[in-house]
Amino acid sequence: MESTLTGSETLTDVSGKLAGRPLEEWNAAYAKVENYFHALRIRNKALLGQLVLRVLERAMKRAPAEPDRSTTQIAAEEMDRIVTEWFAAVLQEPPTNADQMLSTRGRLALLLADMPGKWQDQFLRPGPWPVEFVGAMRETYLRAGPDFQLSKMTARPFDLGPLTTLTNLGRVPYLKMALAWTLFALLLGAIFYFTH
Amino acid sequence: MPGAIPQSAPAPGQSSPLVLTPLPRVHRGWRVFVFYSSALLLTGMVSMLFADLLWRTGWSASRTVLFILFVILFLLIAIGGMHGVYGFVLRAFGDPRRITQTDYRAQSIAGTSTAIVFPIHNENIVRVYEGLRATYESLEKTGQLEHFDFFILSDSTDPDKWVEEERRWYDLIHELDALGRVYYRRRTDNEGRKSGNVRDFLNTWGRRYRYFLVCDADSVMRGETLVDLVKLMEAHPTVGLVQTVPALVNAESLFGRIQQFSNRLYAPLFIAGLNYWALDLGNYWGHNAIIRTEPFMQFCDLPQLPGRKPFGGQILSHDFVEAALLSRANWEVWLAYDLEGSYEEAPQGMIENAQRERRWCQGNLQHGLVLFAKGLRGVNRLHLLLGICGYLAGPLWLMFLLTFNWIHWYQKYTGLSNITVHAFTPFLNLSGTAHALLIFTICMGFLFLPKALALIDLAFDWERRRAFGGLARTSVGVVGETIFSTLHAPLLMLWHTRFVATNLFGFSVGWSQQKRGPDGTTWPFAIRRHWGHTLIGLVWGVFMWRLNQYLFWWFTPIFTGMVLSIPLSVWTSRRSLGARARKLGLFLTPEETKPPPELVSLRSQMKIHEITADNTPARPHAGLAEAVLDPYVNAIHVSLLREKRLNPVYAEQLARLGVGREEVRILGEKLLAAGPAALTAAERLLIMTDAHALVWLHRQSWLRSGESLAPWWRAAIQEYSRRD
Repeated sequence: MESTLTGSETLTDVSGKLAGRPLEEWNAAYAKVENYFHALRIRNKALLGQLVLRVLERAMKRAPAEPDRSTTQIAAEEMDRIVTEWFAAVLQEPPTNADQMLSTRGRLALLLADMPGKWQDQFLRPGPWPVEFVGAMRETYLRAGPDFQLSKMTARPFDLGPLTTLTNLGRVPYLKMALAWTLFALLLGAIFYFTH
Repeated sequence: MPGAIPQSAPAPGQSSPLVLTPLPRVHRGWRVFVFYSSALLLTGMVSMLFADLLWRTGWSASRTVLFILFVILFLLIAIGGMHGVYGFVLRAFGDPRRITQTDYRAQSIAGTSTAIVFPIHNENIVRVYEGLRATYESLEKTGQLEHFDFFILSDSTDPDKWVEEERRWYDLIHELDALGRVYYRRRTDNEGRKSGNVRDFLNTWGRRYRYFLVCDADSVMRGETLVDLVKLMEAHPTVGLVQTVPALVNAESLFGRIQQFSNRLYAPLFIAGLNYWALDLGNYWGHNAIIRTEPFMQFCDLPQLPGRKPFGGQILSHDFVEAALLSRANWEVWLAYDLEGSYEEAPQGMIENAQRERRWCQGNLQHGLVLFAKGLRGVNRLHLLLGICGYLAGPLWLMFLLTFNWIHWYQKYTGLSNITVHAFTPFLNLSGTAHALLIFTICMGFLFLPKALALIDLAFDWERRRAFGGLARTSVGVVGETIFSTLHAPLLMLWHTRFVATNLFGFSVGWSQQKRGPDGTTWPFAIRRHWGHTLIGLVWGVFMWRLNQYLFWWFTPIFTGMVLSIPLSVWTSRRSLGARARKLGLFLTPEETKPPPELVSLRSQMKIHEITADNTPARPHAGLAEAVLDPYVNAIHVSLLREKRLNPVYAEQLARLGVGREEVRILGEKLLAAGPAALTAAERLLIMTDAHALVWLHRQSWLRSGESLAPWWRAAIQEYSRRD
């Protein structure tokens, strides 16, 4: 990995840094981006490496202008931007960051289109994409159920007649206490009975 | 969506009641009279003998108590025995009054729509989904899949379970190519437990389906049986519910195998007997039953009972009551007892079985109040009463035995003479001992008569006999099952007494979850659960020995069960012993000797899971980590949450929980900075219910540098990077 990065002549400097930052920081950034793509089930190592480098190259261009931000953070933001832009292009939706739902929809579409199984090579690739892939991405959606058909069941109370009064006996104050005392009295009576 | 609600049903939103002509009841009334008269006649005769015995040794107040208890208990034995006798006769000569007697198989189900619902609550989700898969695949083979939809109705409160349910649901629909056929929804509010869960489904989607079929978490149904059930409903428009009789299957422990053996051998007789007097006022057991949606929605929403627990409040055992409500509205409820292909599983050990009994006990005792509800049919009241008696029998037996002991103790220590006088039935010419022995023999005879009749029934059915492994092996199995149930019965008596007492006094029994080792119940757990039984058995045994050594031997089966409860519980829960019994050809059932394809599929899938399962213990809050970090699980979770907001009822529940408020975002910050342990369980659940918070958390957890995240997150991300 590092040999590939240092090979990028425009970004290396004399102190051996990349885009003005130590190699260790780029290493951490690489790991972060790689982890995310790994979580997206990109299992082809060549493709994975290529995608990570694409993200890092954009991060390296940004890095000199933002000395206060960490390398990992810049790389992660670039990764997020690239992925969201790609979702916007494939799904034909404006890449608004208002509620991040485009990203959610995009990830779901990837899953439903079986990107990890069938279309790894299309991930983050600029268009045009195969019609089947685009169709799968745009048309599938996940649902908890068919269209709602709302109604409301209404319970009809039981008529228990006089028993209703009995069911409220538990609310009589001190009933449990009186019950305990009665049991105690019965116990005393029993002890007396058995010992005489 | 195929099909529509019946023409008689009102349009959504309206609630005009259905008008049906009441069904003729003459035959059933006669059958109820004949059946219960047989039981009462027998009880009357034996009670006379018993009263005579008591009179011979001098009547007293305690003997009056003993006599009343005997009458009640023998009546219950007689009713049980009569179910066996009537069932045997009906099976031998044929029962013309069955719902399956008509030629319903020619009925088309085109235009129908049926929802198969699986209400679940923190279940073993692998097992639930494999059961669903087996049912789905079996249904697919019938070519009628298009008329059915599947719903997993989750009430799970454990966030880890929730996320696992969603992830595995996606895997399932992906593997079955069942997107738009198998649905998953989780409630945010668990109001009404299982019945509330089903009601929520009905309120949301019910009117899309003419029928719905309720499955339990461990249910499996054969595709042909499902189609048959819909055909039965189509052929009988006045039927509101058809209950199948699920066969117990897949048991591996000795206890489980004995239970499923007795279920498969004896149940056909008992259920045929039950159908004799119940007919179209049958019962509902809560699952493996098809229900006509419209009348159920109109008449079966359960009211709260007046008063407080244990009788008041929410109705816990809803099934019996729902059947009674359907019947009250003149809809027929039938038991399709001869329809095969309906399965469920049983507890694998005595303690698990008792845990289930404990839940059912409370629900059945509550029926004591429903029993008096106006307008219910008499037969439904009988169903409710028999359910209650099933649990009251335990404490009544204990009272009977204690009263019996008391009489003997009193006799001995007061120095009263024990001279027997002539009976008022002198023609019997019996000594006191022979008189007592005769009554005992009648009781035992009637207790074991259904078992003997089940064996005779089997002997005349070559195919069934072979399916049970042959008559000789089945007979040995019946003997073994009888010995085991004799030892198990005193423990059930003690358990039921405890459950009834604690429920009546409003105490919670508070049982911890069963601790199972790889081969069943562990010794320490069995000791914790059974030491009381052992102690009672020892004390009672010593007491009886000192009281009367002759009587001691009569009580031996009771003490033995109690004293041996710990090893009995551990050994019978052993899978290895279950396997050994199977090898010997003992307790075989038709589903073991010739497993149906749906069970073969289920078992093989479960075996694959067992072999490939990652047995390393999951890190705490693994579900939360997955819902936040995994890009796909997060997307599934968020999509399902977002869809909820389209339903005004769910939207209101979410708003009530505080979803969408700024406080949730603050909790999210805390979650990232300090880890899940810094939040309460309710706070974690709230975050997981908020779609925006989860999208935000997903992004932040991947965007932020490691230093700004809690060590727990860093470890979780690290784990993801290693996951294949």
